[in-house]
Amino acid sequence: MQDLGKIHQIIIDLGFYKMTFNVEVIVMTWIIILGLLFFGYICASKNKKTPHLFQVLGELIVTKLYELTEDAMGKKLARKYSPLIVALFMFLLMCNWIGMIPHMGEPTKDLNTPLSLGLMGFAISHYVGIKTKGFKAYIKEYFEPMFFMMPLNLIGELAKIVSISFRLFGNIMGGSIIIMVVSYLTYSIILPPFLNAFFGIFVGAIQAFVFTMLTIVYISSQAK
Amino acid sequence: MELDVQTWLKIAAFSGGGLAIGFGAIGAAIGEGHTAAKANHAISRNPEMAGDVFKSMLVGQAVAESAAIFSLVIALILLFSEFSATSFIMVWAVFSAGLCTGLGAIGSGIGAGYPAGAACEGMVRQPEMSNRLTTNMLIGSAVCQTPSVFALVVSFILIYTDYSTKPMWPMWAAVLGAGLSAGLSAIGAGIGSGLVAQSSCEGISRQPKATAIATNSMLLGQAITQTTAIYGLLISFILLFKNYPASDAIAPAMALLGAGLCMGIGGIGPGIGEGITAQSAVTWIVRNRESAGEITRTMLVGMAVSESTGIYSMVIALILLFVV
Amino acid sequence: MAIEGVDLIKAAAFLGAGLAMGLGAIGPGIGEGMAAAKACEAIGRNPKEAGLLTRTMLVGQAVSESTGIYSLVVALLLLFVV
Repeated sequence: MQDLGKIHQIIIDLGFYKMTFNVEVIVMTWIIILGLLFFGYICASKNKKTPHLFQVLGELIVTKLYELTEDAMGKKLARKYSPLIVALFMFLLMCNWIGMIPHMGEPTKDLNTPLSLGLMGFAISHYVGIKTKGFKAYIKEYFEPMFFMMPLNLIGELAKIVSISFRLFGNIMGGSIIIMVVSYLTYSIILPPFLNAFFGIFVGAIQAFVFTMLTIVYISSQAK
Repeated sequence: MELDVQTWLKIAAFSGGGLAIGFGAIGAAIGEGHTAAKANHAISRNPEMAGDVFKSMLVGQAVAESAAIFSLVIALILLFSEFSATSFIMVWAVFSAGLCTGLGAIGSGIGAGYPAGAACEGMVRQPEMSNRLTTNMLIGSAVCQTPSVFALVVSFILIYTDYSTKPMWPMWAAVLGAGLSAGLSAIGAGIGSGLVAQSSCEGISRQPKATAIATNSMLLGQAITQTTAIYGLLISFILLFKNYPASDAIAPAMALLGAGLCMGIGGIGPGIGEGITAQSAVTWIVRNRESAGEITRTMLVGMAVSESTGIYSMVIALILLFVV
Repeated sequence: MAIEGVDLIKAAAFLGAGLAMGLGAIGPGIGEGMAAAKACEAIGRNPKEAGLLTRTMLVGQAVSESTGIYSLVVALLLLFVV
């Protein structure tokens, strides 16, 4: 209970700026990245006539998510951005699920991870917007329906980053705090596995999907 | 007239207990009334089913009542237990505990009445599906109770925490804010989950073949509807367990109270809105099972977007807690 | 305890920010939910137009969210500017 909200940080003083590194998040993120790379290697290394289990699993994930992307973006954009979407979904799913292993913490519990991924989606969607519509038409959209609406349109656009990243952060952080507090209050009897199953597997999967889906929607809405 | 802590504690405990059961009775009464009305309607259509409908009405009402029973438990604890006043914060804590369970029971009570009513009507429409409908209703209304369970947990923490080392200012506001945050945000989530469960029960009675998909999409919809209640719980836990520096100023205390109020009130609207979305989605998934995938996807995106104002409330609450 | 004007103004601003965002979240929350509900219904009736309907839903939701964003702006102004 005492370590509620306590994080392990390394602070490097550069003289003019203090750089803060959140060790746990970095280690966990790298564990997930290496795990996913390993999974990808196993899935892609096929040399048998009948596909093995991992190949089927990998193909299933990729085709399902590709279909989803194509539905929303159209064929041309989907070809380009579906690798990003697949990678984003698998990364987020593993991020949300890794907390179920004892002594592991979700990287998404730290606001930095969802915020950077949200910024990435935001930047890509606006890049797509400028590229497909042209710079002039892109800028003009901010002055719709009236020119003085520009600041509010701008804030509305920026609020998307806040909502997409805080949604993931709030759900994962909330889940982990609730699991911790309830486990503490019940002396870890009976309840924690069920809470882990709900907040870890179920909410984690839904939020990973929602984040991915919203990134797809943001990109495709800029392209139209 | 100078009153000592023990007297104030009694005053707070009695008024908190009164508010707990007073607010807590609102939801259950409305929900159970709704169920009874639907059951009457159902019996008038098919009097031969009266026995079954009556049974499932009682079962449904019993579940809808559990939120009010939580309030009763807290009210009785507040009325009859002897609190040792280690700190003046305890006065606010017992009052807030009463408010928290009371407010938290409103949504769950109203919400749990909807599936029970739909199940009674559905039973008359499809007598063969009675058992499946009752099971689905029980699952749905049990999930409706989770926001009120959150409120109950916060109330217990509020009552049984030792405040002796905490500073009076601004901790009293944190305690009150925690109760309001968990209690108010449970209202929307409770009503919303009830709407989802209602459409699922109705769907099963209209399309018996779609039973499995109706239950599954109901659980998905309810889980997302309750995220705002989870945010409320998160904010109230942070309010309770954070350490505050003692200060004489009013501003830090008001920031904490504002954080609780912001998250609590801000959770109501998104909860109900997401419930409406999932209700319609479940109805149409049952009617048009081939396009369940598309509807689920749109439902998830639509719910996520309608939740964003709840997320803005959480952001403001977090800023009030950590930045200012 | 002496009450100072600055302290009182700050206190009011904090409480006001909380209330502004909290109350401002109710309307858009319900309204956007209704928009999404109708979109789900429409897709149920006409699944072929799912893409168009989702896009229309998002535009409608973005517009009905604008009052929520005004509340957010006012709350942030109260917190950091006043």
